[in-house]
Amino acid sequence: MTSLFADIGHRSLNKYGEQICGDHVQIHTMKDGSPVVVLADGLGSGIKANILSTLTSQIMSTMLANNLPLEVCLETMVKTLPICEVRGIAYSTFTVIRLLQNEEAEILQYDNPHVILLRNGRHVEFPKEKLEIDGKIVYKSRLYIHENDVFIMLSDGAIHAGIGCELNYGWQRDNIIEFVQNMYIAGFTAKTLATIVTDQCNKLYGFKPGDDTTACVIRMRRRKAVHLMIGPPSDPASDELLMEEFMSGPGKKVVCGGTTAEIAARYLDKEIVPVSDYLDPEIPPIASIEGIDLVTEGILTVNRCLVYAKSYLEDNAHYSTWAYKKDGASMLSRILFEDATDIHFFVGKAVNPAHQNPDLPIDFSIKMRLVEQLSDTLKEMGKRVTVRYY
Amino acid sequence: MKIFVCVGSSCHLKGSYHILEAFKQAVADNHLEDDITLSAAFCLGKCRDGVSIKIDEEIVTGLSLETFPDVWQTKVLKPLGK
Repeated sequence: MTSLFADIGHRSLNKYGEQICGDHVQIHTMKDGSPVVVLADGLGSGIKANILSTLTSQIMSTMLANNLPLEVCLETMVKTLPICEVRGIAYSTFTVIRLLQNEEAEILQYDNPHVILLRNGRHVEFPKEKLEIDGKIVYKSRLYIHENDVFIMLSDGAIHAGIGCELNYGWQRDNIIEFVQNMYIAGFTAKTLATIVTDQCNKLYGFKPGDDTTACVIRMRRRKAVHLMIGPPSDPASDELLMEEFMSGPGKKVVCGGTTAEIAARYLDKEIVPVSDYLDPEIPPIASIEGIDLVTEGILTVNRCLVYAKSYLEDNAHYSTWAYKKDGASMLSRILFEDATDIHFFVGKAVNPAHQNPDLPIDFSIKMRLVEQLSDTLKEMGKRVTVRYY
Repeated sequence: MKIFVCVGSSCHLKGSYHILEAFKQAVADNHLEDDITLSAAFCLGKCRDGVSIKIDEEIVTGLSLETFPDVWQTKVLKPLGK
């Protein structure tokens, strides 16, 4: 495995009036850790389309992850999919990207808009081999991956955006390429890019999408570690050990919690410099310690960060808050969601006497649960997470 | 005079934000910007009796919007001779 990390994010819009999306994105991890990403678009819309695309993406990702030949996968898919009563065919288009060891990308495309590849922000076309399998035309490509490569997979709802309202011919692939080239900023996460593209589709549709619309983005980036320390150790004699391990190695250092910050300041022999004001009345202000990248209050800040993390995995509706604001929770979110690929939690298990007050809605078990939930959501974002307790 | 308002988790939940705002307002109303430096502080260690503040080296606990006027009178205006 190279030192590259595949940041994968997707977002779908439902066809106007539908409760469920007929597009489906499935991410499967091969035994060696290589991701297989499938975007399938089922025939029609609503439940029927959803079943077709879910089955297709599940079959394709599972079988390809186990190295079965493409022909066998396609055959299984055709034989398994239920046949549409109206149209007499079983049909779901798909795009597959397999990232072999994060070094090479294998791309299979069947009837979806062709994958857009940005290399250092500029669009490049890549060679495609045309295969005919059981009368189906599938395009296959294999290429080496570079750092900062961005692959954009789309369902046809994206290129049809705007038909009948803003644009005569829809938002054509060339228009989308121009748009994403202009939007390309090295810092945007895959999820953010997928959100920006689908938001634009929604706008072109006049907020009433005429078809299920999906963008799935894979962004290849260098791995970056972040160390996050929260809570004092259960035995104060472990302060030193915790700090030594926390400070060792490269990567940003984040300290969450007042007492925890004191331990860090004492170890580093630096002052905690308080910051003067509340930027968000609900989130306690941050502080700073020389040598630490971010110092925040503990439980409330982390709790808000968890809210943002959950939203990130869904519709990313809080993006416009955490991406720009300067309160502790937003800054923590940017470090964890945008900067980090590998997150190491250093969790102290001391019971904070202040939190045992029955008047307050916080207690020790909440802190532990918060850390667990946050690490689970970060894993769901595809990040490597370790948690150590002290 | 330096005034720190604790913004640790439990003081925050008990209303640090409003206490800090009350101080800002009182400083402005009395034109004491040159006499008082106002700042937030991480945990002052008096979590059970928040909201806690520190006036120079003295820690004062149990602030609320109800007790604020009294604290402002006795702990701030009086020592400043105002």
